[in-house]
Amino acid sequence: MRSGMLGAVTALAGMVLAASGAGAETFKCPHVGGDFVFGQEANVNSLDQMTSSTISTRNVAMNMFEALMTRDENFNPILDLADSMVEAPDHMTYTFKLRPGVTFHNGKPLTSADVVASFNRYAKIGLARNALDNVDRWDAPDKDTFVIHMKKVQPTFLLGLSSFSIPIVIIPSEDENDPPQQLKTIGTGPYELVDSVPGSYVKMKRFAGYVPNKHFEQRTGFGGYKQACFDTVTFRIVTEGQARVAGLQTGELQGVEDVPAKSVPDIKKNPKITILPLNNWWIQIALPNTSDVPTDNLMFRKAVQAALDMDEIMDAASDGNYKLNVGFQYPNQADYTDTGKNTYNLHDTALAKKYLAESGYKGEPVVLLTDKDYAPMYNSALVMQQELQAIGINAQMKVVDWPTSVQLDLNTDKGWNFFFTGWGTQPALGALDTMQFLVSPHANYKPPGDKDDPEMLKAWQDMNSLPTAAERQAAFVRMQQLTLDKVYAVPFGSFTKVQATRSDVKGFVPFRIPRMFNVWFEK
Amino acid sequence: MTAPEATLAAEDVPERRLSPAVLTLRRLRHHRLFMTGFVVFIVVLLIALLAPWLTNVDPDRLAMRYRFLPPSPDHLFGTDNFGRSLYSRVIWGAQLSMIIGVSVVAINAILGTAIGAAAGYFRRIDNVVMRINDALMAFPAVLLAIAVTAVLGPSLNDVIIALGVVYTPRTARIVRSSVIVLREMEYVQAAVAAGAGHWRILRRHILPNAMAPLIVQLSFLFAYAVLTEATLSFLGVGAVPPTPTWGNIMAEGRQYMVDAPWIIAIPGLALMITVLGLNLLGDGLRDVLDPRLRIQP
Amino acid sequence: MIGIVLRRLLSALPVLLIVSLITFAMIHLIPGDPAAAIAGLSATPQQIENIRHDLGLDQPLMSQLVRWYVNLLHGDLGRSLLLGQPVLQATMFRLPVTVGLSLYALVITLIIGLSSGVLAALRQNTWVDQAAMIFAMIGISLPNFYLGLLMIILFAVDLGWLPSGGYVALADDPLRWLASMTMPAISLALLLAGLLARITRSTMLEVLRQDYIRTARAKGLPRRQVVLKHALANALIPIVTVIGIIVSLLISGAVVTETLFSIPGVGQLLTQAVLNRDYPMVQGGLLIITALLVLVNIGVDVCYAFLDPRVRYDGA
Repeated sequence: MRSGMLGAVTALAGMVLAASGAGAETFKCPHVGGDFVFGQEANVNSLDQMTSSTISTRNVAMNMFEALMTRDENFNPILDLADSMVEAPDHMTYTFKLRPGVTFHNGKPLTSADVVASFNRYAKIGLARNALDNVDRWDAPDKDTFVIHMKKVQPTFLLGLSSFSIPIVIIPSEDENDPPQQLKTIGTGPYELVDSVPGSYVKMKRFAGYVPNKHFEQRTGFGGYKQACFDTVTFRIVTEGQARVAGLQTGELQGVEDVPAKSVPDIKKNPKITILPLNNWWIQIALPNTSDVPTDNLMFRKAVQAALDMDEIMDAASDGNYKLNVGFQYPNQADYTDTGKNTYNLHDTALAKKYLAESGYKGEPVVLLTDKDYAPMYNSALVMQQELQAIGINAQMKVVDWPTSVQLDLNTDKGWNFFFTGWGTQPALGALDTMQFLVSPHANYKPPGDKDDPEMLKAWQDMNSLPTAAERQAAFVRMQQLTLDKVYAVPFGSFTKVQATRSDVKGFVPFRIPRMFNVWFEK
Repeated sequence: MTAPEATLAAEDVPERRLSPAVLTLRRLRHHRLFMTGFVVFIVVLLIALLAPWLTNVDPDRLAMRYRFLPPSPDHLFGTDNFGRSLYSRVIWGAQLSMIIGVSVVAINAILGTAIGAAAGYFRRIDNVVMRINDALMAFPAVLLAIAVTAVLGPSLNDVIIALGVVYTPRTARIVRSSVIVLREMEYVQAAVAAGAGHWRILRRHILPNAMAPLIVQLSFLFAYAVLTEATLSFLGVGAVPPTPTWGNIMAEGRQYMVDAPWIIAIPGLALMITVLGLNLLGDGLRDVLDPRLRIQP
Repeated sequence: MIGIVLRRLLSALPVLLIVSLITFAMIHLIPGDPAAAIAGLSATPQQIENIRHDLGLDQPLMSQLVRWYVNLLHGDLGRSLLLGQPVLQATMFRLPVTVGLSLYALVITLIIGLSSGVLAALRQNTWVDQAAMIFAMIGISLPNFYLGLLMIILFAVDLGWLPSGGYVALADDPLRWLASMTMPAISLALLLAGLLARITRSTMLEVLRQDYIRTARAKGLPRRQVVLKHALANALIPIVTVIGIIVSLLISGAVVTETLFSIPGVGQLLTQAVLNRDYPMVQGGLLIITALLVLVNIGVDVCYAFLDPRVRYDGA
């Protein structure tokens, strides 16, 4: 049994990261200078990470703000602004020492008072403030020390604390009362803000006073030894995919996120462009509504599951950039399990028809609720509709826009049968973050009255509270098996996002969020 | 109106002995641009009506193995990202465009005339009606249409209603202007003096004479409706996909515009030709029916 | 003259009141949750609920409406849910972008529209006339997004002459502004140039037929002088009216063009606001834009009255 990431936390307890003796050389920018222009697909509406969960916000803000903890290249928790962290033997306190010499972009040195202020603001308006539910209080015994006191033991607490989804970024104490989405953009990161024009661009420049984390030699994940090698970085909003490609071709843009898959072969021929696939961008998924007919019927759901050809669905969703993937984690992750693979990608018409007959299905309409704002969701629904029709299911599309589809999913449990979405950030954060979608409140499979399937709930509670990492991982394996056996979710596969840079850009390694540190122009 | 045979028979009769309707038809027949537009319109209309016989391929049928095929004798207009036949989609799109155009024109003809005539004829309600009208016209047209479709939902019917809301105030305003002028005419005043009822005056004396500018407006409106629907679909707020309106086909093909340009090029061309035809038709009608009219957007 | 302006301004007030009411009713009738739009992809239901609460979206509709009007009376248009910026600030910040684009498009419209219209009228029924009118006809029949897409393929992707997007402020770099705005401005201008060319032609033809022009020609004045001084000057009156229409069409066109070319103007701002259910932004932004359009139209009316003293405002 793999111990998994749920176990990594224990390994972290009491850790004082020693400067690694591996003898690897500390990173130094081979070349400093230049303006890196990055074509971003979505608008940046706000740079306040505490109150925005959008990827476009994170894309930019992660380069300017930092938190006590973050995740490394394999999404394991690591320290970032914290120099050390000690978990008490009774697991009731976590004591952080701050890294010395860190200053904010405005020149003010970082102290524990700033950390207290940041946690205060987060507890008040942070979108994921529920992550602090088990925390009793925090305090700052001295100017370098920050202590979190728990109400009750939560073995998975540090996983939440190090999450980069809606991170508890550290801001100057004087900004504590900035209203939501109006946070002043002053952080501790390797880049600082120059200016931001919503709908057009965000420009940031190298922060001269940045002190890198000497516990590392290299960048890892969102942490490690970070160095800004560009003078400035410009995130330019280019919503049209083909326009991003054109900008890259002409050299107007030096990097882009999300190259339209259809353009990849063409770009590949250009020696001045490097293609960088970002694997496992999200899990393409459909969630059944088990409160409405006929998806309340297990045999019917199994018929659907048996009918689907995941290759065909993922091919349409991603224009060919995908990997088949079982379950809710990816193979490169510690928590991954292929449990339930016997339910995946069966494409077995005979079996599907047999289940369908057993379910007593009488031709009721089956409504696929999807949106047209995210092409992969719409595309996968369209193909699934055709595959369901092929086994005699009266599948119909209900296409609305994204805000409406989310509202219908959250607030109604009649009139639709499958909701199409993509799970991106949570699978990367680990099994725990992912499986929360499948428990109440708002369990995604819409159990009647939002009352959990007891078996699912038990597995979830075990994932959270069993004392050892191995036991918690076993609970996750059980939960994935349950979910797939009872068809509480239909994960289609893993979606690859294609990024690209000009060939003279070095050090750009695709990650969930484009990292602008330790990236440079070749002379 | 008069049947075409009547026009043919009337060919050799001197103009002054013809009835006004026959005269109008005769002038239209000799208007080259009008006839060009008329022929284009009739062709598109025939394609729309004959769609089920022109193609036997379901426009929504996916064929993932035949994706992105360029136009060829086997696939006349090529295929899209789901391997759907663009020929079939464009043909059915013509039908949808005609449905949209005819419906919006009908809404305008009925509501626009009613509102415009009421406002122009009855001074008491004029102020209120026209202020609401002004308010609706003060919105940028596309934004108003986006908002209305967002309220109603994204079905074809809702898009038609949205276009009706956007354009009816403009039609009403034109009808009202004609009615105001006609109301003051001596023969109308005479009818009022003779004790004729409002309804009778409107129906017998005013509306028939207000028809010319209305017909011209409606012919241009047909073009705007088709064009605006495409724009709404392109912005992602038009008829719900996969409905094969020309705007939808283009919107879905937009992300492949460099590698599979035929997906947007062909429906775009169809749209342009149709709108061009309708505009020529409108020009001709204006020249013949009401030469003093200005272009009304 | 001042009387006309005042009367028009007064009659605009009820229009704007109705505009604000219609907007409020409409935007709140739209299904869909602004919190979901703000949260974007991958937010958990709990996070979406937190957003709803923080933004006061869980308050009754009536109290939201009352609050909006009370604030409006204090000159406060509220704050965008999505941007966190005050509505007035967000709109005013983007307005110059749209105005710049519109003026550029207007210049192209005037140059192409007027010159081809005048030329066509002077060379009536020649190939010049026909070519100009066919061009104008195609211009008014081409959807501007279609033209924009074709231009991106040709000039940005294939030829690489012009940038495909990315806005540069005029003040920052005038040359790059010109480069980045050229395709959007052309795609906006073509329809309007077509309209203007047709109007100019027919107006010029009408004026050229007038007695005083014939007289001027008979007196032996040079043709160029007659055309420029007399004919064009008189043709300006209806043309000014058309320009008023053109300005309001520009805003509608900008909605599409700005979206297509990623230009951060008010068109894009308001489209995004509607699509994301950003209630305050839609309410306030639309109010500002319609108020401006009404003002432009009043300005046009005044110009009209100024150019042609015979015109009496009839209150319609």
